[in-house]
Amino acid sequence: MIVGTRKPLVEILEMVKPYHRLLLVGCDTCVAESASGGRRETSELAAALEMAFRVAGTDKDIRETCVDRQCIHEFLLAVVEAAAEADAVLSLACGAGVQALAARLPKTPVFPALNTQFIGETAERGLWLENCRGCGNCLLGLTGGICPITRCAKGLLNGPCGGARDGWCEINLAREITPPVTCAWLEIYDRLHSLGQLNRLLEPLPPKDWSQGDAGGPRRVLRPDQRP
Amino acid sequence: METLIKVVLLACEQACPRPQLWIKPLAEAGLKVRMVQEPCSSKVEVFQLLRLLARSADLVWVVACPEELCRLCEGSIRMERRLAHAQDYLEEIGLERERLGLSLLAAEDEAGRGKVIDTIRAQAQSLGINPGCRQPSAGKE
Repeated sequence: MIVGTRKPLVEILEMVKPYHRLLLVGCDTCVAESASGGRRETSELAAALEMAFRVAGTDKDIRETCVDRQCIHEFLLAVVEAAAEADAVLSLACGAGVQALAARLPKTPVFPALNTQFIGETAERGLWLENCRGCGNCLLGLTGGICPITRCAKGLLNGPCGGARDGWCEINLAREITPPVTCAWLEIYDRLHSLGQLNRLLEPLPPKDWSQGDAGGPRRVLRPDQRP
Repeated sequence: METLIKVVLLACEQACPRPQLWIKPLAEAGLKVRMVQEPCSSKVEVFQLLRLLARSADLVWVVACPEELCRLCEGSIRMERRLAHAQDYLEEIGLERERLGLSLLAAEDEAGRGKVIDTIRAQAQSLGINPGCRQPSAGKE
């Protein structure tokens, strides 16, 4: 899923302050799971903006709605209708959702309320970890289901660097990280060991083909059988 | 325009089975008091706290059971964290964190109840009207 975090309120206020009628649009899938853009968070932000503008001496018309997925156009039809009465829209979706909504609202400014962070997993309650870079050429089958591109701070493909200590990545020395970051390559080793597949480590991985990643401009997937 | 300070109590019904024991002394102190009884403080969400402050309250106070008495085991602990999250929002807005409060109290703790009521009264009077709250003339609740 996509993990997002709310922008500082002062940044959001600056973006939307010229507009009187605001529509906040939440997204009830990924960013709801990461507790940043679902129904609850949309209501929190709506109430907070209402108060912040009032404290600053202005009363705004702030409305809120939420859709199941902002990145899928079919889900946006109701929002388009609601946005007809708004001067601006504040989206609590990831960057993909914000852009899909903006594409549907050619005459209404659409602003992001979140900073999109990464593709990740809910590791524990209140803790989300990045575990996929969308590199376009997945190696997980070779590394025991643990991604060295994402989870090794250096993205190394053939074993750990010399900086790991007691199972921890050396980036923990540079700044305090809670909980600390583990050495991905130690995890890969342990995982392959428990699977009885340590022999996988005997074959060095070739240089990675980065052309499938984001270095080649915006990527697209085209499926002829799905096209209209 | 209404000038009474408005206090909303969100009370776990296990901790506050008799609302009048709270409402009466606070009303006698000149506050406009509303109590919303909850099955557990774990049902109180951040958006509800903020929405109350935005639309109808100068001070919101949550009364929950002590941690060891909470029937949902960790309802009170999580309430404390959600309250802190809502208070962070208030700080960003430029409002006092103290406009949101929490007390953990057993239903039979009369002395404790008296102290909490004194704290709510003093805090409401010291903070006064919430400048972030919609005034009655500005529209319906």
